[in-house]
This record gives sequence, structure tokens and C-alpha cells, in this order.
Amino acid sequence: MSDTTVLKLEDVGVRFRRRTSLLRSEWRWAIRHLSFDVKAGETLGVVGRNGAGKSTLLKVLTGILAPDEGKVTRYCDTASLLTINLGFMPHLSGRDNAILSGMLMGLARSDVQARLGEIIEFSELGADIDEPFRTYSAGMKARLGFAISLVADPDIILMDEILGVGDRSFRRKSTEAMREKIRSDKTVVLVSHQEEVLSSVCDRIIWLDNGGMVMEGSTSEVLRGYTAPENQLPGGKAP
Amino acid sequence: MKYLDIIFYKTWADLRAEASRAYIGFLWWFIEPILYMGTFYVLFGLGLRMGGEGFVYFLLCGLIPWKWFSSTISNGSRAIEAGAGMIHQVYLPKVILPTIIVCINTVKFLIILPILMIFLVLSGYGIEVSWLAMPLLIALQLLMVWSLTSFCAALVPFVPDLRYVIENGLLLLMFVSGVFFDIDGLSGTIRTVLYLNPMAVLIDSYREVLLLGSWPGMAGLIYVLSFSIVFAVISWWLLVRFDRRYPKVL
Repeated sequence: MSDTTVLKLEDVGVRFRRRTSLLRSEWRWAIRHLSFDVKAGETLGVVGRNGAGKSTLLKVLTGILAPDEGKVTRYCDTASLLTINLGFMPHLSGRDNAILSGMLMGLARSDVQARLGEIIEFSELGADIDEPFRTYSAGMKARLGFAISLVADPDIILMDEILGVGDRSFRRKSTEAMREKIRSDKTVVLVSHQEEVLSSVCDRIIWLDNGGMVMEGSTSEVLRGYTAPENQLPGGKAP
Repeated sequence: MKYLDIIFYKTWADLRAEASRAYIGFLWWFIEPILYMGTFYVLFGLGLRMGGEGFVYFLLCGLIPWKWFSSTISNGSRAIEAGAGMIHQVYLPKVILPTIIVCINTVKFLIILPILMIFLVLSGYGIEVSWLAMPLLIALQLLMVWSLTSFCAALVPFVPDLRYVIENGLLLLMFVSGVFFDIDGLSGTIRTVLYLNPMAVLIDSYREVLLLGSWPGMAGLIYVLSFSIVFAVISWWLLVRFDRRYPKVL
């Protein structure tokens, strides 16, 4: 880990409009008043209950959403969400989907094409790569998504859960590949509910609740607070 | 540049996927327009003999550019909504999505058009010098189609109800664009009003070039160009302005 900042959030807030009746709607802040830095090479964990704003935060970090308040400054080229669902097109073949997704994640077409062999091998799809995506089983879809994510090598990797997908052997292989990425000097932001994963890979953790930051600090410190019994009750108040 | 590559690759992939769904694949790109034209030929050229001498050619010169225009707007206005799955996972400039639809339909038009021109030559229309104006007309219509498709695509995610307005607006527009009749045959105010529709100007220009062998009227084309530029600028502005807002409403 170095001291170079790759991503800086200053007082960031994102709000969504929620329709309450035909003509009336109200704004709801999914995240608000968030300020923190992501340093080059670190693995930053994000914890929080469902609806705490974790997914919205990841979308702001990738640039899918712009903040309605505050400022996000990026000091790198690409920050992508590693996910098994890359928004594939059902009517296109696995190969075309792989090439398009790779390009959308920042690779040049020639790079994706050069690494297609790797994608096919890791996803264990073989000749099925040329079949339309809609004919794939859930496991095949997940494997393809995972393999592309792995090959596309963004400057900042954002993960929503370390994905254990597919059958037992693929799950082991994919989890191992993910852990390797995390252990390397890549910058990773990881959302997870698995405390043992977080405590083994994260350098630092951010704890969100109700769209706001409850705590930011070292892994052990934040996890101690987050897993404390009084904070695990439904509707429990953050300290 | 990277995004241009994505547009071209997606266009190509979609066209291939469409073809691979049928048994005889890409042959349909040629057979479909021939059947389409053949239907009108049988109906108006051989069967009904309605509308008098040469009506079928008159009709086809209107229908084929119209088909390009209407199917692009109809599909393209849903482009951003249709890409919802993707834009939630990865950032991409939303202007790409309607542009891909425009490209796909342009390729299809560029396949039909030579077939129409061959059909005209076989039917006794000479190849005229004026045909050199075709690239100009095509480029102009491409700009016009892109600007209106992007405009619709930019607004539909915020106001989904617009889709119904667009579909019915296209139907109305088909009847007033002079696909089935000659606007020049009308007189006075109604003629002027109908020619405010850029598609009417373009269809009339295609006929002048292909059927009459004369050069298209420049005033009309300059009007279409100005119209398209205005809409292109507005659409571009909207798509850039709301680029990172679309994921919120979809």
C-alpha cells in the first residue's frame, strides 16, 4: 500500500426520487455526507446491513452514477465492478458478449480477442462459447461473467461479495482467483457480509448505515463494532 | 475511438445474431426486401393497377426511405431502456445505445437501396447523372434519423408514456409524408405545411433523383439539414447532461 490516492470522495450524496402517489414524489438519500479516500494498492472493505447504501456507493465509485452532492475525484483510468452479471445480451453468442463486455470494461478489442482463449478456458465453456447466451444455464452464465471480469484488469476493482459461483470445483477456483487479485497490489474495494473474508483480506473497512458513515478504520476495530450484539438487532441504532 | 469500436462491433454482432436465428441466415437480408418490394409490385403493378402508370415505383421510392426512418425511431427510442441491464453494471456513454440502432437499420437500408435501384433499371428507368446526388440524400437522412432517434431515446426513459405518442406519431407521419401521394399535387398552405416535415422533403427528393432524373431542390435539403442539426445538438446535450442519471430511473 502506498500513500497515493486513486479515488477521493468529498461529502458525496446520491438521492433517488420515490413516487408516493401520481403527482407527488419525494427524494430519498441512498448515501449522504460520505468522505473518504481510496489509496493505491489497498483493499478497502465496505460493510453494512441491506439497504445501507453499499450498492449505490459502488455505482458512484465506478462512475455509473454521478453524485447529486459533493465531489468524486478519480486519479486513475478505469474502475469497474466485477460481477457475474455484466449486462449480457441474450441474443448474442457468448463470444460476442465476452468481447463487448471486455471492451466496455476498458480493454481494446484486440486485447479481448487475444485473451479469449483464457476466458473460454477459465469459464470451461468450450465450444458452447459460440452458442447464443440465452441458451446458457445459470452456471454457465455466471462462469462466463466471472471469467471476463477476471481478464478485464481495471485499475480499481470493485467487488460486491467474493463470488462463489458454479459447482464446487469452479467455486473453489473462482474464489482462489479472486483472493489472488486481492492479495496482489491491486486496488480493491470489496463489499461483503462474510466477516472472516473481510478480516483476512482488508486493510481498512468502512461501515455504512442508512446511507451514512458509521465508522472508518482498521479492519479489526470496525469489525468489532459492526459485529457487536447491540448492532446486529434489526433496527438497532448505530453508536 | 474505443466507443466507436464498440458501436461497430455491436452493430455487426447484432446483424449476425439476427441472421443466425433463421435457417437461411443472412440471405434474408436480401430476400426480405425483395419480398417486400414484390408485394407492392404484385398489388399495384400487376393486380390492382391503382394510382395509374408507375405508381408502384413512386410508392417504393417513398416506402423504402420511410421504412428506414420509422423502424429506426421505433426501435431506437427504446434503446436506453433496453440497455438497462448493461448500464447498471458498467459505465458507457448513453449516446452509444441509440447510435447502434441507427447503424443496424442503416446497413439494412443500404442493402435494400441497391435492390430498389436495380429494380428501377430493370423496369426501364435509365441511370441518370442525378443519381450522383444519392449519397448526399442518404447522408442527410442518416443525420436526420440519428438526431430524431437520439432525441426520442434521451426522453423516453424519463417519460415512458412517450413511447405510445411516438408509435402513433409515426403512423400519422407516414400518411402525411407523401409515401402514398404526391404532395406537389396539392396547393397552397397545406403543401407548405406538409413540407415542414423533413421526411416529406426527403421522400420527394428521392423521387426527383431516382424517377425524374433531376437534381433535388437545394432549399428543401438545406431546411432538412438545419432541422437535423438543431435536433442533433439538443439530443447530444440531453444525452450528455443526463448520462449518469439514466441508471437512476431505469
